[in-house]
Amino acid sequence: MKHIFCNTGYFFREVRTLFRMNWVSNILTLISTGLIFFLLAMVISGWWISDSVMESVRGEAEMSVYYDERLEDDGVMQLVERIKEIEGVQGAHVISADEAYDRMVDILGKDARVLEYFDDNPFGAFVEVRISLDKVQPIMEVLRRTEGVADIRDNREVLERLHQIAEILSVLGYLIIAAVGISTLVILSHIIRQGIYHNREQIHTLRLLGAPEAFIAFPFLMAGLLLTLLGGGVAAALAAYTLKFIYGQMAGPLPFIPLPPIGAVIQSMATLMLPLSAALGIAGSLFGLMSERRF
Amino acid sequence: MIKAKGVCLKYPDGTPALNNINLSVEPGELVYVTGPSGSGKTSLLKLFMGVEYPTEGSLEILGQQIAKVHEKEIRQLRMKLGPVFQEFRLIKGRTVMENVMLGMRFLNASPSRLKEDAGVALTKVGLAHKALSLVENLSWGECQRVAIARAVARKPELILADEPTGNLDKDNALNILELLTSFKDNKTAVVITTHATHLIEGQKDCTLIRVDGGSISRERTGGA
Ligand SMILES: Nc1ncnc2c1ncn2[C@@H]1O[C@H](COP(=O)(O)OP(=O)(O)OP(=O)(O)O)[C@@H](O)[C@H]1O
Ligand SMILES: [Mg+2]
Repeated sequence: MKHIFCNTGYFFREVRTLFRMNWVSNILTLISTGLIFFLLAMVISGWWISDSVMESVRGEAEMSVYYDERLEDDGVMQLVERIKEIEGVQGAHVISADEAYDRMVDILGKDARVLEYFDDNPFGAFVEVRISLDKVQPIMEVLRRTEGVADIRDNREVLERLHQIAEILSVLGYLIIAAVGISTLVILSHIIRQGIYHNREQIHTLRLLGAPEAFIAFPFLMAGLLLTLLGGGVAAALAAYTLKFIYGQMAGPLPFIPLPPIGAVIQSMATLMLPLSAALGIAGSLFGLMSERRF
Repeated sequence: MIKAKGVCLKYPDGTPALNNINLSVEPGELVYVTGPSGSGKTSLLKLFMGVEYPTEGSLEILGQQIAKVHEKEIRQLRMKLGPVFQEFRLIKGRTVMENVMLGMRFLNASPSRLKEDAGVALTKVGLAHKALSLVENLSWGECQRVAIARAVARKPELILADEPTGNLDKDNALNILELLTSFKDNKTAVVITTHATHLIEGQKDCTLIRVDGGSISRERTGGA
């Protein structure tokens, strides 16, 4: 192994020669791996974001229970106590009609003026029930049978939609990972084989002089690694920009979606992309080297 | 150093290149291999380098059996050889110095040692002033010297030079032979092939091997 460390300068010169000898192909390889990795980075980030949104929404699962308006205050308090005792309910409290109005003002922001067109408060009081998501169905059943309950609204539909999106993204994610893996391996092994072919005379001479296979292969490994690392780096940078842009676009019209902090998303995306592209680079080069062992 | 017993070499296309070769070369021996073109001189050296394997008989180089099953060990054996190829096999686009160093890079010498040894070898072949020239800008004879420098800088136990005098005029050819034989010492044997028999007439203290039609005859000239 010593001969590898003693010759780093030589290996870097060899890599430079390899790139120069065939620079058009190498630049195209760099661009295509960069684009593929960009796709990967975006899908994986999307996957994470939807997962994290799912998680936080799951924590916020709640139901609005509207009660019979003829119920007295005492009756309402009893109802709340009874709801609290249902298995799976984490908390329940009354939201008065005024509170409901104020919340809507908050959500609508500038557009809250539309509420001025109403003479009366259009919102009714209700019991806000925090629940664990997996208990929605049994809780619903119990509530329906409970006296004094007029109407139940839950955000299950929204949750289910989100869940579907997350599933689709994860399937898409696996597909893209497979596609990226295979195409990177193919592209890289191809460019490495091309390099080996261009250098076949030199490689033959080195073998005649007794050079170990590892010594001969090392510049090709380095070249492959550099190509994918560069591609991965460019892709990560591009993906970071794109994510920032998307976050900027979402912040205005959809402020209530609980997106994970962008810094964390970018950081985990980059820490995944770089080792992944390095690993694919090494694998692709080895693949190329193996298929050109003898010529 | 070299022990051949009943060695035959038949190329895959059926060409019988060498037939029943029996031979032994000792450390410090100088061997000239002569014979007409196509007689099998290069083939003999290819066997010695483990590039071809005997199709019959047994061949041992520096204690290493030459056979397909020993491919890995033969690669290591080659590190102890100093080959000078008939077609030089220098790497184009690299300097003279880089070419000489390339032959040593995987021998585990330190980088400073590498440069020093390459410089010494280039001085010995009289090309120190061309160290930074690209090999494609050199004359035939200069290329020959670079190839020799690359071989001897490795401090080999066995120097194998294939037709090092080809294409050179008599004076230059004699210079090259003199240069190559100067690397012979009590540990290092030198094997040189040439079809120019007139160059080695009267050479003292060496072994002459004549290859013809795949067979060899051996003759020992006396010491000075
Ligand atoms: N790879 C090969 N496949 C088939 N036949 C070969 C191969 N290499 C050499 N030969 C044949 O083997 C014979 C010996 O060739 P070799 O190259 O050893 O001759 P040589 O003595 O070195 O000739 P020269 O003086 O011209 O260099 C020739 O007939 C040649 O055509
Ligand atoms: Mg020959």
